[in-house]
Amino acid sequence: MGEGIEVTGVSRSFSAVTAVRSVTLTARPGAITALIGPNGSGKTTLLLMLATLLRPDGGSIRVAGHDPVTHPAEVRARMGWMPDILGSWANLPVLATLEITGRMYRLPRPAAERRARELLDLVGLSELAAQPTRVLSRGQKQRLSLARALVHDPAVLLLDEPASGLDPAARVDLRVLLQRLAREGKTVLVSSHVLAELDEMATAAVYLDGGVSVSAERIAASRTGLRQWRVRAVAGPAAGHGGLADALHAVGVPRERIAADNQGILVGVQNEADAAALLSALVGSGVAVSSFAPAFGELEQTFLDLQRGDQP
Amino acid sequence: MTAFLPGVGIVLALELRQRVRGVAWYVLLGVFTALVALVTTLLWLSNGYTGGFGGFLFSGILFFVLLLGTLVAPALSGNAINGDRDAGTLATTQVTLLTTGQLVLGKFLAAWLTALAFLLVSLPFLGFAVLTGGVRLGTVTVSILVLAIELGVVAAIGVGLSGVITRPLFSIVVTYLAVAGLSIGTLIVFTLAGIATSSEARTTSIDVAFQTENEDPAATDPVRCSPPVTTTYSVPRFDYYWGVLAANPYVVLADAAAGSFDTSGTPSDLFSGTAVLVRQAQIPPDLDATYDNCTDIREGRTPDFDTPREIFDRTVPTWFVGLASHVILASGALLWATWRTRTPAARLPRGSRIA
Repeated sequence: MGEGIEVTGVSRSFSAVTAVRSVTLTARPGAITALIGPNGSGKTTLLLMLATLLRPDGGSIRVAGHDPVTHPAEVRARMGWMPDILGSWANLPVLATLEITGRMYRLPRPAAERRARELLDLVGLSELAAQPTRVLSRGQKQRLSLARALVHDPAVLLLDEPASGLDPAARVDLRVLLQRLAREGKTVLVSSHVLAELDEMATAAVYLDGGVSVSAERIAASRTGLRQWRVRAVAGPAAGHGGLADALHAVGVPRERIAADNQGILVGVQNEADAAALLSALVGSGVAVSSFAPAFGELEQTFLDLQRGDQP
Repeated sequence: MTAFLPGVGIVLALELRQRVRGVAWYVLLGVFTALVALVTTLLWLSNGYTGGFGGFLFSGILFFVLLLGTLVAPALSGNAINGDRDAGTLATTQVTLLTTGQLVLGKFLAAWLTALAFLLVSLPFLGFAVLTGGVRLGTVTVSILVLAIELGVVAAIGVGLSGVITRPLFSIVVTYLAVAGLSIGTLIVFTLAGIATSSEARTTSIDVAFQTENEDPAATDPVRCSPPVTTTYSVPRFDYYWGVLAANPYVVLADAAAGSFDTSGTPSDLFSGTAVLVRQAQIPPDLDATYDNCTDIREGRTPDFDTPREIFDRTVPTWFVGLASHVILASGALLWATWRTRTPAARLPRGSRIA
């Protein structure tokens, strides 16, 4: 206990605008928790409060067991924050940036330098160590920013849109790195709107909507609807769109649950058991199924369901 | 409170590496040096007589360095904090174990050291002035020390305002206005207020009456006096407002370093000259004076006027009051900035994002 992130009923407004109305969430050590919400839903404001930079108007926060309002230094020693804005000391070399950051966390100079080299290696910026940070590309700055958040080996990581600007290879690296950090027992909270990406690594999710965290009940309720699964088949009479739709109808799927888009056939199923039954029926009826998978990621589906649920 | 100074040192080193390293800064320093060289040459050429000129040369250069230094320092310090916020580097330092006090103090020291570099490059010229002779050691040390402190005051006001005002451009302009307020504003207030509150003064003169032709040549008295003539006029009352000038940095510098007079009581540098001029304002005007020239002549006396040195000696020094008020102003600005920059922030600068 006392580890991870515990947020209860937190609110924060800026003069007339309420950015965060009421957020309750838990992020556990060893898990990668996704923070999901549309633009302006309060993700960044919430992260600023967790990062000891902004004082909440109400509610309580515990980061790594400490209150960021009353004990910011204790939180800072255990928390790494990667902001959504990429600021760096333009004239400073990449290596020196990390070294100075390390010394700001009271690492002795040799240890700070060692740690800086280690991190440059980790995020793949070693070749640019002597370059001033102003020559870095957006993606490279993003990786430097991540390295800076890791300088003091924090137990809690707060990442605000860490993947934006990264190329696909760097995204895979980021995912592998975060999964490794989580395995080491760190608490990772990631906000992003690239949901497909979060889907591949997040083990838990928190949804924000209009400054309010969405309750588990509301998420469960949103899941009662049908899920879209994509089906593909090769060869045989059922290979074409029409044939596959007919084959689906033949194994008992009502016509209104079958849809087609430019990439193929979509079929609505109730849940995973339903999907499994449908797949075995299809295969049993002789269709050469090559692909049978959810059309949207879990997070994306929930996100869309919640958005849809808001509309009357 | 552990490791407070190392933290300040990290910020200081970072600021110096981040801000100072740049071609523009060295160009500025070069232009500054060239200007001081030019002024030194011109002052030297304007020297009509030989000997005892070192004091004027030294004080002239130092006044010029104060002028240029206070013109440069706001630009170097006035965006220290809000510039970092704009660049997105403030919040990333605030989530570290550095405290806001360390951050502000480190930035102030960096701005001060940067401003002191301008004093440093003018040292050869000051040294040249000392070598020409006639400069007291006390004047040299005190004036350079006071100038260094005044540059620190401007740097502190700049850093302070950069923590209080959101937009860098605006905080730099306000820093310039603060410097102008002290340098020129005090002079304007002093002059206008003095003129606005003038008193009625009366002067009675008794002059020698000229002898007319039909006068009795056997008169015993060779010099006869005419009846007293009284004139009234209004005099500005600068003596009410001399305290305003105490806050002027040039006056602080002059008054602190003053005290060099030649044997006839005439100032032998610009510091003493300025100090006498300013201190003269402490003496209230004589509102009912009588000038009896006639008796003076009859008794063979020359009218007695105070020498500048006598005026200097019978008035009070103000420089420590002025300097103390500047240091308080500077500390206040830094404290205000610290208070406004501390995290977790209760309120944010209007229209700004914290990161």
